[in-house]
Amino acid sequence: MSTVKATSPRVPTSHSRRKADPVKIASFITLLITTFLMLLPLFFMVSTSLKSKREMLKFPPTFLPESWAWSNYTEIFDTLQFGTLYKNSLIIAGLTVIGTLLSSALVAYGFARYRGRGNQLWFALLLSTMMLPYPAIMIPQFVLFSKMNWIDTFLPLVVPAFFGSAYNIFLLRQFFSTLPEELFDAGRIDGCGELKMWRTIALPLSAPALATVAIFAFIYSWNDLLTPVLYLSSSDKFTLPVGMASLTSSRFRIPPWHLLMVASVLAMVPIVTLFAVAQKQFVEGIVLTGIK
Amino acid sequence: MKRNSTRKSFALLLAASMALMVMLSGCGGGKSASNVAPGNKNTGDSGGSEKQVTITHYTIDSEDRTFIEKLIPDFEKEHPNIKVKVEKAPYEQFDSKLQTLIAGGKSPDVTSHYGYGGFAEYYNKDMLLDLTDLIAEEGFKAGDYHIPDNLMKIYTVNNRTYGIPVNMYVTLMLYNKDMFDAAKLSYPPSDYEDKSWTFEKMVEEAKKMTLISDDIAKTQYGVDFTWAERDMRPLYFGAEPYSEDTWTNGGVPSETHFDSPEVIAAYQKLFDLIFKDKVSPNSEWSKSVAGQNGDPFVAGKIGMSIGGSWNLAGANDFPFNIGVAAVPWGGNDKVRSTLFVDPLMILKDSEHPKEAFEWIQFLLTTEVQEKSIELSGGNPPVNTEAAEAYYKHFDGIDPEDVKKVYEGAVKYGYESYNHLITKYSQINDMFINELQPVETGHKTLEEVMPVIQKKVTEIIKR
Repeated sequence: MSTVKATSPRVPTSHSRRKADPVKIASFITLLITTFLMLLPLFFMVSTSLKSKREMLKFPPTFLPESWAWSNYTEIFDTLQFGTLYKNSLIIAGLTVIGTLLSSALVAYGFARYRGRGNQLWFALLLSTMMLPYPAIMIPQFVLFSKMNWIDTFLPLVVPAFFGSAYNIFLLRQFFSTLPEELFDAGRIDGCGELKMWRTIALPLSAPALATVAIFAFIYSWNDLLTPVLYLSSSDKFTLPVGMASLTSSRFRIPPWHLLMVASVLAMVPIVTLFAVAQKQFVEGIVLTGIK
Repeated sequence: MKRNSTRKSFALLLAASMALMVMLSGCGGGKSASNVAPGNKNTGDSGGSEKQVTITHYTIDSEDRTFIEKLIPDFEKEHPNIKVKVEKAPYEQFDSKLQTLIAGGKSPDVTSHYGYGGFAEYYNKDMLLDLTDLIAEEGFKAGDYHIPDNLMKIYTVNNRTYGIPVNMYVTLMLYNKDMFDAAKLSYPPSDYEDKSWTFEKMVEEAKKMTLISDDIAKTQYGVDFTWAERDMRPLYFGAEPYSEDTWTNGGVPSETHFDSPEVIAAYQKLFDLIFKDKVSPNSEWSKSVAGQNGDPFVAGKIGMSIGGSWNLAGANDFPFNIGVAAVPWGGNDKVRSTLFVDPLMILKDSEHPKEAFEWIQFLLTTEVQEKSIELSGGNPPVNTEAAEAYYKHFDGIDPEDVKKVYEGAVKYGYESYNHLITKYSQINDMFINELQPVETGHKTLEEVMPVIQKKVTEIIKR
């Protein structure tokens, strides 16, 4: 309580800088320590990825590699056909993002803007699909895709994304509902069709929500292990998580942690990039809707 | 009225876009189906006069299992009418993928129990093909492949054979020569007939190597005793937790004795290593030193490690000198080692059991078994002739020692429970969970064992 009292009157008089604020300093130090702690595992990941096989087994572990084994980063491409796996994962995750954005945004728009008979019921039905655990639908779905001759192709991993997902539809519907009706009235007066309003009014205003959905969809697909394991059987179609799981698959060998860390470092790159890009969208979106 | 019509047009639009999606995906499906089809067609009707078939070998996606891919060209040259496809999954997903494949009508032809479930589980789920008639028809004799007869019996239930052994791991002791040298101790024997090598002697030596210090980097322990899975360990001291009939009726015990005084006493002896004699690390220390699935022995912190012979496979990478020794005598004259014999099995839904059996026979020949040792990085063969090559596989370890340890282990070995008892993955999970508080010193065996006894009974009845 006291901190609130101490800081709130300071806001208007913040012209008087230079004066050290103990609360600010304390929170800065706390943040610094937390950041350091959060980055520590990340640091060890990078550090281990540069250690030799022998050094990796050492205890206590070395903080920095004794000899920098940069060759690990080329070795991973020989051990794992890393390039192929990476490409496959990118294709699948990319298509999943496109599919999820298209379908979920369209369905969510419908749910947000139209009231019809049984509207609530349909929505409840949609949400209830979230309650089915994957193992419950795993076998029937496998039989279905197998009958369609989709086994050992990317289709079972990508096509479902084009049919929307309950969670993302819910998220976007909530966002679309907050858009002021006046905007759409204005659009209607200008002679906009529904699809055009969706495309030119609803979507651009929803950048933050869409960015969130894109990140979720990407991360989900990028990390997914079970579905690719079930549906893919040729090595040249495997995804990154399948390849990485195989590194720790042997019950009889010490896992090559150093190579696994190399793979992890490289696997992180697209997620970090996407996040950096989407974060900009995020901020822009807030600015846009803030004008109103 | 206006709203209504927009709604209608929007609904129409939705429907149209849905239809488009279906068409698009349909196109994709057709395209990829044609990508897949040539492979299937080739195997279907090409290949000249003889009918060509494709068999699938399902295995774990790790180097020590997928090496079989490299053997396929040789096999296909010998058998031009048979194509072999390897299907694989990571260890953790092995069982769920297998179940799904079978349920989805895409059953593989050949596999082994490489996941969490064991032979008995597969057998009781009626997943396995009875090989007895095939064996007779093909004139298959274990002796021709130098497979000891007692190993063939493991996967025979009521005189019907369901699996043919291919690899055999045993329990053995690995020791850190550097730690023995530092403590000025002589190395433990590899000869199982050396009667002086007892559990008590092991504890004595372990005490001399144990050094507990506040500095975690200096702490080291004498021995880590991970003989078989947890439920099997009483057998080492001569206490039998499962009733005799377990081994004759497909792995379903009529009685279990986990709360009997003998079994509790056996567990007590093992936990005394940690809490009374203080020569073994507790699980928390092991994890902090070697990580979740690591082994503190590998980090050079343990003098003697009793475990599966697969630990040998990594031996060439250890940062210290190692040796192999016999498992000390613990009070059971018949059993000192566990045998982990992996069979090859044909699944019931296989469409080409005969061709699958050809492939299995190929994998068992001396030449291929010898080749497999190198390709897999040290898988021990069941073929006793090929085993000679296995004994020589490890740098810096006397092949004579490996041979003695292996032969003694077979003589004093008992097939691992995880292959023989039904619903084993559930039993094993339960054991790990229930014994956890004992391993960390928060509960006593007297508290925990009656609970385990009750739960085992429930799982088996389920």
